[in-house]
Amino acid sequence: MTLASEKRANTAEASAEVVRTFFDAYRRHDVNAMVELCADNATFNYVPFELWRKQMVLRGDGKVRTIGKPIWSGLIHAVPDLTNEVKSVSADDDGNVAAEVVIGGTQAGPWGAIAPRGRPYREPHLFVMHVDGAGKIDSITCYWDDASVSRQLGHLEVD
Amino acid sequence: MTADITADIKTDPAAEFWRAIADRAVDAAFALVAGDADVTIPPAGILGTAADEGREFFAATVAAFPDLLLSVKRSFTCSDGVAVTELRLAGTQAAEYLGAANQDKHLDIDQAWLMRVQDGMIRSITGYWDQSQLYRRLAVRRLDQVATG
Repeated sequence: MTLASEKRANTAEASAEVVRTFFDAYRRHDVNAMVELCADNATFNYVPFELWRKQMVLRGDGKVRTIGKPIWSGLIHAVPDLTNEVKSVSADDDGNVAAEVVIGGTQAGPWGAIAPRGRPYREPHLFVMHVDGAGKIDSITCYWDDASVSRQLGHLEVD
Repeated sequence: MTADITADIKTDPAAEFWRAIADRAVDAAFALVAGDADVTIPPAGILGTAADEGREFFAATVAAFPDLLLSVKRSFTCSDGVAVTELRLAGTQAAEYLGAANQDKHLDIDQAWLMRVQDGMIRSITGYWDQSQLYRRLAVRRLDQVATG
């Protein structure tokens, strides 16, 4: 029983469906649902997310529940009309998933070092995720060009 | 064990492509890519074909970083033929690169690439990374003054 359900959860189609459901929740701004789709100890890595300080670099690297959730909530707060468009979802039978997703909206509040200027942005992202045998996302890594986002929002300093 | 790895590479055009780029063998890499394959690399502002813009981008990359070190961190191939590769590209800048003047800086940047493979050939290439990270490491301070640092 357990083995059969784990096998079903790990098919490419099933893993892709979990990821599509995740982005549906993101589109609804339902951060709690996004987190619930993830395993308790799911890892999180937003690769471009790095804030350079005098003696340290803060990175978007850790766990979904401690790093991912506040980043998602913070972005939704800063960009109240934040939305996403899933362009493609590819998966294998081991739970690996790659999702190309365009994320965008209009900045209404500060986001990191970027002051709000009321400008819109729209940027392609690549999410590389893993879905475990229980059908939960246990790893999220995301890549995008933050220089492009900064340009669109009118922030021209690299740091 | 070595024989198995070699066999995997020979049946995996994406893995073979990256091995060739790591060896600075751009011609060998693009022998695996259809000439009319779509190449989309948003951080570099590239939207074109493998034979033109794609080859030019990778040739410029190996030329700008003579000590290029390419480390594949994770790769997998999806049921629809899309090969996913996460890698770290590192090296010391020795020439102008993507508009950034050479200041002999060290670059290390995490990238992710999607390649659609069909009939043993790579039919499309899409690259993702953060150009801010690249500029930061190459001592570029403003997005409107890339060439001057």
